[in-house]
Amino acid sequence: MTQMITESLVESLARERAFQLLDKGSAYEILGPFDRMESPHLTAQNIVPQYDDGMIIVKGTLNGKPTVIISIEGNFQGGGIGEVSGAKLAGTLEKVLKECKNGHTIYPVIIYDTGGVRLQEANYGLLSIAEISAAIVELREYVPVVGIIPGKIGSFGGMSLTAGLCSALIMTREGRLGMNGPEVVEQEAGIRELDSRNKQLIWKMIGGAMRNEVGLADIVVEDDVVNFKNAILNVWNGDIELKQRTQQVDHFLTIFKSLNVEEKISPEQAKQLFKDATLKNTNRVSTPSEIVNSRGRKWFELLTGGKQSISEIPSVLVADAEIKGLKARVIAVVPNPENSFYRARNGEVGLLEGWAIAKYVREAMKEDAHLEDKRLIIPVVDVPSQAFGYHEELFGIYLSCSAAVDAYASARLVGHPIVAAIVGKAISGAFLSHGMQANRLIALHDEGVNVHVMSKKSAAIITQRTVEELDLAAKDVPSMAYDIESFKKLGALYNLIEGINADNPSSEHVELLIDSIYKAYEDIQKDTVRDLSNRLKTEIAVASGRVASIKVREMIEQQWK
Amino acid sequence: MEKLVYSFPASKPIKRPAHVGVVGSGDLEVLVQPSENNETVVEIRTGITGFQDTWKKVIERFVSQHNIAAIITINDFGATPGVVTIRLAQAVEVSLNDTNDN
Repeated sequence: MTQMITESLVESLARERAFQLLDKGSAYEILGPFDRMESPHLTAQNIVPQYDDGMIIVKGTLNGKPTVIISIEGNFQGGGIGEVSGAKLAGTLEKVLKECKNGHTIYPVIIYDTGGVRLQEANYGLLSIAEISAAIVELREYVPVVGIIPGKIGSFGGMSLTAGLCSALIMTREGRLGMNGPEVVEQEAGIRELDSRNKQLIWKMIGGAMRNEVGLADIVVEDDVVNFKNAILNVWNGDIELKQRTQQVDHFLTIFKSLNVEEKISPEQAKQLFKDATLKNTNRVSTPSEIVNSRGRKWFELLTGGKQSISEIPSVLVADAEIKGLKARVIAVVPNPENSFYRARNGEVGLLEGWAIAKYVREAMKEDAHLEDKRLIIPVVDVPSQAFGYHEELFGIYLSCSAAVDAYASARLVGHPIVAAIVGKAISGAFLSHGMQANRLIALHDEGVNVHVMSKKSAAIITQRTVEELDLAAKDVPSMAYDIESFKKLGALYNLIEGINADNPSSEHVELLIDSIYKAYEDIQKDTVRDLSNRLKTEIAVASGRVASIKVREMIEQQWK
Repeated sequence: MEKLVYSFPASKPIKRPAHVGVVGSGDLEVLVQPSENNETVVEIRTGITGFQDTWKKVIERFVSQHNIAAIITINDFGATPGVVTIRLAQAVEVSLNDTNDN
């Protein structure tokens, strides 16, 4: 028997992985450990930081082509995205974008090994992931953005939304790609929904082989550095067709409208369902017999003047309205107790909702394609979370969220002004999908308006602290708090509107929100850029909210050769 | 989190800075940088409190074996004395190496 000696990528640390892939002697690190750019928020919570904050940026060449590899260290804080690590990734992609726009093509490769948002920095993770997503969507137009999921942790949480946006994904059989990790699904939905200890099932659901077989990942490789290199080159050379999955709205929406999840669908059956075209003629989405009130629905009705929704998915309301003479598309996600996906009945963003948002945002883009002044888009944000469920993970809820992110970001880039109105909960992957890609964020100052990444109970379990300890930490670290006033301290809010009764607004209250939306619209029209950089330029962001995010970007600029 | 600092006289300069390890479960990150004075300064941040005596012994033993004038910074995430010793030795090896193998 001959034994091949391989050079493992999976077994290496993040820094080694980056250097392994690049041509020998060509590579240098940007913002390495000696720069000591550590997380200021971890030390504030008495947690030992790492000098590179678990995000490694290495620039060099791969097969002679200028390449930058951004590699996430899964061993440090579960590869979680905090302010510094998030800014390193977003800032690098923004720099690559700038270079590409100036005609210097640089090939970006992201190595994913992450659980998503770093819970100890919470809302900084959300802001960073929105900025990473925005950069990928814009960058893809210039150069393929390659994502690699070698495995150990895999890719989870909000970071999988960004993986879904990549031009191409390379995985190993060991790698996993999902939104909510199995432990979190079990915690939120119970062991009958998913037994997180059933490793065989989990890899059959969300492992690299399965993701590749149903077309959610492009290449599966055996763990050897040379295989990863060849796979990257295949993407660059055009040997692999770029699928632009997040734009295949009809394809995915048709599958999910036809699914019957009353009985568990096995991974084997799921493979057939992804392929079998005949099943797709059934539409199981029906008009609900009962309307459930929610803040999202209330404000949708008030903003549209009670217009009928044009959406085919009852949990996503869509209508075109007039806001001070401007045509505006208003979109809200609302509860539907009869949703065929039983884990998405309380207003969560699930498989149907993400794709439905994508559909109606893209519809507005298409209708306005010939217009100079594009329609205003208003996501009304009242979303308790993404849907936590077995079928959601099996069928790739992360991609449904990516599709919504992609649609909003693309609409913003072609010139649709987007103003998100946060009237209720704005949580985690749901907020990333519905609201976070807006040019401007405005919110009602109300106790029920919350921004965060995970319920306190789950966050306590995962970070191995008590709920009391979390509350205490939130006092010093505003990004960990749940209330909208703390979120404001990060500098991303354009306006926090005072004196509105969010549950029972009077007509004056509605006028206040409309005025604020209009002001935000005017501000967008004055702006020359269509990206999210204004969140880093507000007074609060510069003074205190995003100091590290800004510093990291400056240092990347300085060290770039 | 606990912060510990130790310093010892030393004379041999190092050739280049070194960085090894990761702040992951049972592991630690070690940075070695040249010192302008004839001494070794070891700064430790650790999440596991109450082990000053053990740290002192591990560092003293290390310094008795390696005469390097350097600033050594450690971020520890619960490494055992054995792991600490091996990581320190690894860092010294890298710092005394002439070539950069990237």
